[in-house]
Amino acid sequence: MKADFVTSILVILIGLGAFVTSWRMPRYENLQVNPYTVPGIVPGILSLILLLLGIIMLVRSVIRGGWRIEVPGVASALFSATSGRLVVALVLTLGYAVVLVGRLPYWLATVVFMFLFVAAYEWPMHANRRSRVVSLVGAVLIAAIVAVAVTAVFQQVFLVRLP
Amino acid sequence: MFEGLQLFGAGLLGFLTFSSLFNVAWATLLGILVGMMPGLTATLGIALMTTLTFKMAPEDAILILICMYVGAIYGGSRSAILLNIPGTPASAATTLDGFPLARAGKAGKAMAIATSGSFMGSIIGMLLLATIAPVLANFALEFGAFEFFWLAVFGIIISGHLTSLKDPLKGWIAGILGLLAAMVGQEGVHAYQRFTFGYFQLSGGLGLLPALIGAFGFAEILVVMTDSKYELVKSKVGSVIPSPREVFRYWRTIGRSGVIGTVMGIIPGVGEDMGAWASYAAARRASKERARFGTGSIEGLIAAETGNNAAVPGAIIPVLTLAVPGSAPAAVLLAAMFIHGVRPGPLIMIESPEFVFQVVAMIMLASVAILIFGLMLTRPLLLVLRVPRERLMPIIFVLCTIGAFSIASRVFDIWVMLFFGIIGYAMRRMDYPMAPLVLGLVLGSILDKSLRRGLVLTDGNLTEFFMRPISAVIWIASLVVILYSIGPFRRAFQRLVGGADVHAGDKGADGG
Repeated sequence: MKADFVTSILVILIGLGAFVTSWRMPRYENLQVNPYTVPGIVPGILSLILLLLGIIMLVRSVIRGGWRIEVPGVASALFSATSGRLVVALVLTLGYAVVLVGRLPYWLATVVFMFLFVAAYEWPMHANRRSRVVSLVGAVLIAAIVAVAVTAVFQQVFLVRLP
Repeated sequence: MFEGLQLFGAGLLGFLTFSSLFNVAWATLLGILVGMMPGLTATLGIALMTTLTFKMAPEDAILILICMYVGAIYGGSRSAILLNIPGTPASAATTLDGFPLARAGKAGKAMAIATSGSFMGSIIGMLLLATIAPVLANFALEFGAFEFFWLAVFGIIISGHLTSLKDPLKGWIAGILGLLAAMVGQEGVHAYQRFTFGYFQLSGGLGLLPALIGAFGFAEILVVMTDSKYELVKSKVGSVIPSPREVFRYWRTIGRSGVIGTVMGIIPGVGEDMGAWASYAAARRASKERARFGTGSIEGLIAAETGNNAAVPGAIIPVLTLAVPGSAPAAVLLAAMFIHGVRPGPLIMIESPEFVFQVVAMIMLASVAILIFGLMLTRPLLLVLRVPRERLMPIIFVLCTIGAFSIASRVFDIWVMLFFGIIGYAMRRMDYPMAPLVLGLVLGSILDKSLRRGLVLTDGNLTEFFMRPISAVIWIASLVVILYSIGPFRRAFQRLVGGADVHAGDKGADGG
């Protein structure tokens, strides 16, 4: 219910924003176009429906007590192990897709991403130096094989242009 | 009828070449692998494959995509049985009886039953596709702007309701968000750029394929990487050849599930997941061994697997005849058909009837392939489930990035993929279904064009929208679905029909 409370506010904001944008779309009155063909009519109706659904959800979550958000609960959710894993996954994937791809040669960007991903998630926390070195070497090998295979298959077999 | 058989024969013969059969083999096998691996869905598999095959001849590309589709929906049963995790959402009902059977040391038997059920389901669905599609296409010739408008509305309402049975409100919000997202870009009447906020890259709209790759690929990667690890069940695999006596003992269940699965597939945006759940619920209601359901019932397993695979041809029926997808993977298939210059819709039986029967032949070949691979490659396929997710997921992400980019060679499409991935992850965590969002993205332009065209035709008079016979049936059906989701109305309806069993979709469904 707490999640519903928060998302309902978000849905209402999206509905409002979309409605205002639709309202501001041109109506071409000076061109005397049929008023039923104006660009804002369908998005305007859809945003009003979204607004209505958001309000229903908000009212429902308030009735069920969803508005009572406790700080300790939010803090424990924010700093949970799941959130930590999500942040690592997001940093690695966005780092690859937004930063590396297009700036480095495709194969090199893929090697770097694969290595970092495998190394980060398979890092032996409680192991000696030797196992850590083995783990890193394994990650390098996997990264190199995947990058070469993907680049070759996509370029040579499927004739796809790579970023 | 006879003409249909002739076209089917010609279609099948056309595919009996080495290169086509080779395509059937690798695409179905790849589909099974995609379906098996948690985190990879049929929708993602077909979306990625569409981006790779768009330089191929249309028949080859569509053949590969359909084999991938049938294979992936079947493949999901493997992880459902062995990991208790549905490989695709369509296999969620399979876990109920498949996993208990595996835990009881009957993993091989469970996989054999799932293979037989999936094969029979695909064949029943295929037969229904061959018979229903020409009739529906003929009927759809009567559809004008009013009917297409209501069809789009009905699609969002029924999909939102059935994919989120516990809370249809979330399904409808997802559907409206999809429709609104489809409004982005240049509209067709005045060439005005809606919701582009000055970004010229948005003038062509949000690409369906990058959005789907994000919502079903990147979002799933984030879900898998944040969830706890899964473990393979320790079970004797044993014989994987099904006993014909055991399978045909449940012929009624197979027939019923095949029909229910196909019907669920036909309903816009509902698809394989509900095909399995509805078949499972119907089988449980009709079974003499009702108590065994959920504890390792062969009948339950066969119902779920027949139902989800029957929904594949079912979901293709509206794709071909109305250009409206029956499920999320079918939405990708529809997009792929447009990319390849095939024009599905009411005119298909007039313009290219042979294509409809080629699709029937493709489903038949894919069904035979899942039967062969399912029975022959059981042990090698198990190895796939042992690949650590820490190695698999980054590879999938690399494929998602290439897939999103390769459609138009635009880096912007990678950003669209990332955006929908993050939105998809948040929606999944908040229990919002993805299928209505996808359906909204596809139906948005139909709804927009039909409503404005209809209003112009009637000069704003809404009577035509409500009074035309087909329109009336569709809007009344939409209203019934909405009323049914409101507590007091639902209870009154259930009293009226004598207490329907609604357990079936307690978990809802979410586009394969």
